[in-house]
Amino acid sequence: MENALGIWGPQAIMMAITASFTVLGMVMLLAAMMMKRRWKPSYAVEFAFIGIMLALVWYGDFTSTKTYAAYQADLNAEEKTVSGNYDGLGEEAFDRVVTVVAFQWGFGFINEEDEISRNALVVKPGEKVLLKVVSNDVIHGLNIPVAQITAEIDPDDKRELWIRAPDAPGKYLIQCVNYCGVGHAQMKAWLVVDAGEEETDGENT
Amino acid sequence: MATMEMDDPKMGLKAHWEPKNLLSGLTLNQILFSNDYRHIALKGIFTAFIMLALGGTFAIIFRTELALPDVQFLGARVYMTLMTLHGMVMVFGFLIPLVVSISYYMLPKILGTDRLLWAGAAQASYWILIVAAVLLVIGRPDFTWTAYAPMSLRTGNPNIWMGHVAIILVAVSEFLAGAVLFRNALASKGGLKNTPLMAWAAGTIGLLFMISVFPLGFVGFGLLSDWAQWTQVAYFDPSRGGSVQFFLYVFWTYGHPAVYLPFVPAIAIIYTIMPRFLGRPMWSYWSGVVAFVLLAIGAMPIGPHHFQPVYTVSGDYQRFVQILTMLVFIPSVLHVFNWISSLFMGPIPDSARRAIPFKFMVFSIAFIVYGGATAFLNAQIAPDSDFIHNSYWIPAHFHAMFFGFSGQMAFAGVYFLFPYFTGRMYNQTMGNWHFWLWQIGLFIKITGMGIAGYLYFPRWVYDYLDIPGWADAQMAITIGGYMVGLGFLFFLVNLFWSAKYGKEVTDDPWPVIHDLKAAPAAAPAE
Repeated sequence: MENALGIWGPQAIMMAITASFTVLGMVMLLAAMMMKRRWKPSYAVEFAFIGIMLALVWYGDFTSTKTYAAYQADLNAEEKTVSGNYDGLGEEAFDRVVTVVAFQWGFGFINEEDEISRNALVVKPGEKVLLKVVSNDVIHGLNIPVAQITAEIDPDDKRELWIRAPDAPGKYLIQCVNYCGVGHAQMKAWLVVDAGEEETDGENT
Repeated sequence: MATMEMDDPKMGLKAHWEPKNLLSGLTLNQILFSNDYRHIALKGIFTAFIMLALGGTFAIIFRTELALPDVQFLGARVYMTLMTLHGMVMVFGFLIPLVVSISYYMLPKILGTDRLLWAGAAQASYWILIVAAVLLVIGRPDFTWTAYAPMSLRTGNPNIWMGHVAIILVAVSEFLAGAVLFRNALASKGGLKNTPLMAWAAGTIGLLFMISVFPLGFVGFGLLSDWAQWTQVAYFDPSRGGSVQFFLYVFWTYGHPAVYLPFVPAIAIIYTIMPRFLGRPMWSYWSGVVAFVLLAIGAMPIGPHHFQPVYTVSGDYQRFVQILTMLVFIPSVLHVFNWISSLFMGPIPDSARRAIPFKFMVFSIAFIVYGGATAFLNAQIAPDSDFIHNSYWIPAHFHAMFFGFSGQMAFAGVYFLFPYFTGRMYNQTMGNWHFWLWQIGLFIKITGMGIAGYLYFPRWVYDYLDIPGWADAQMAITIGGYMVGLGFLFFLVNLFWSAKYGKEVTDDPWPVIHDLKAAPAAAPAE
């Protein structure tokens, strides 16, 4: 999946670092309980630990910021932030621009022809889709697992996200991840990847 | 180990601790209103058990519902009410009061004051919290413990104001508790160089309590005012000119220090009981002091990491929050390093290896590593905007920290104090059952949550689709939850049985014996 926030790449390294730290801690604890030979560790060991931590903080911040900035670079070249005053510049870089209305409880999708679809975002395989997300009532979350993206949307505020649609036609989950009231569990929609008539081997879902 | 060393203030001052049966001869008046620190602590600890039973029962009910996809027997509103009460009762009713009550008992012992200063404030703090808990159970709010505006203003529950008032009362209660901890820490005669680490913990966390609850009180007041529409001014309701961003920043200015409120006193329990079991001082005194101070300073400005995939947390501010959040890792690493080094720098006595509180302590260190390492990942915006934010990954993280570490450490403290409260020793077999059921159950539960989160399982849902992996993870969490519940039943039976029939303890209940086979006569009672 071509997505800056993808599981593979920088994120896999971060998860490997996290896992190694867990294992290291467990091994140290096990040694402290089991080992026959014992000695008093010097302060140098602790300082070395802090040094490693500081390096990791630098590396984590560097990688995370770079990854996220690369993701946002496609959105608004001027602002460098995910949202705020998106002025429509650069929309031509996307194959499809959809306004997403998050409400209690569901998602509405408005395409460029002002047609509204309740709970189905229909795209073509591999398309680069810009989502302009708004909420009119309470704080909602928008999560598209297949595109590996999550955002939180406050009322009276507009955000932009972009996704690369999967290549395989089918139905993919879109869900709210922020508790938004009693209907939260039902607040789902589908990302429908439809090959359409242009593709001879296309299959509608 | 020489007696002189054990009397060192950094060692937990063995001289002041005596096993005693406090329970027999307690009058109702003493139970309710006595300002003796032992009575206040006993009452707080016992109330925390009731809260744990309550919050645990809620969890068992909705865990049963969640074990299978689709709706079995719980509707959305009942589920969310149980979920909200589970969160609020466990954090505000069980965890924070339990560790604070243990501090109420241990501080006067360790500092040698033998009385709790400002005990009246501790008493008031207790009763205000009881009122808050009663309001919560009557009002049955369903807005989760974070009460995000404007959702929490529009739940359609006519009694929702009780939830808002309860938030204010919790803030008042926590302020008083913090003041008591802070005042008692100041009573230390040791100066900067000889103050026990538990007093350092009480001082820093007491200060953090007192500062951080103001935003919480304001959140409660603002929600109440917005809901009742007392004035033209709306604080948080965007439809009347309020600001949701304002709510988020105010709430999490409390909300992040809040997660350290049960965390730091639990750390203090380790610094108090570990030297007692090992028969030697901690590896480093100053490492502990520095870590407490750094944690208190670092806690305040990093609240926005709780809602960082929202547009106002961006650019340089995003990086500031991200870097500071990762830096808060360092004091925790200092603590953990200190504990592991203390265990490692000499032999571990046989008497410690078989003591239930010591076992709980060692495994809670394992859980702080297990849950704490993920903080490095959670702090970063890129993975946070992928699978971490508000997926089950977050409950995995905070159940490891709150329950796996803080909760289990509080129970280590309870087992440690048991002979001092009852004059009797707990039953070892039942203690072992409790211990192993909790370790295995918690590990299954937390790992299941982590896997569910990695598969994008959203938080706060009572009903879910049968997506590959989701149902299996939920079933695992439910099984783990049942094991934890069963372990708690063992603990309850042990508590009541041993208080009446346990072996009597008259001398030091925790003698340091390196080779139990060589000196079986000196074996501690059980």
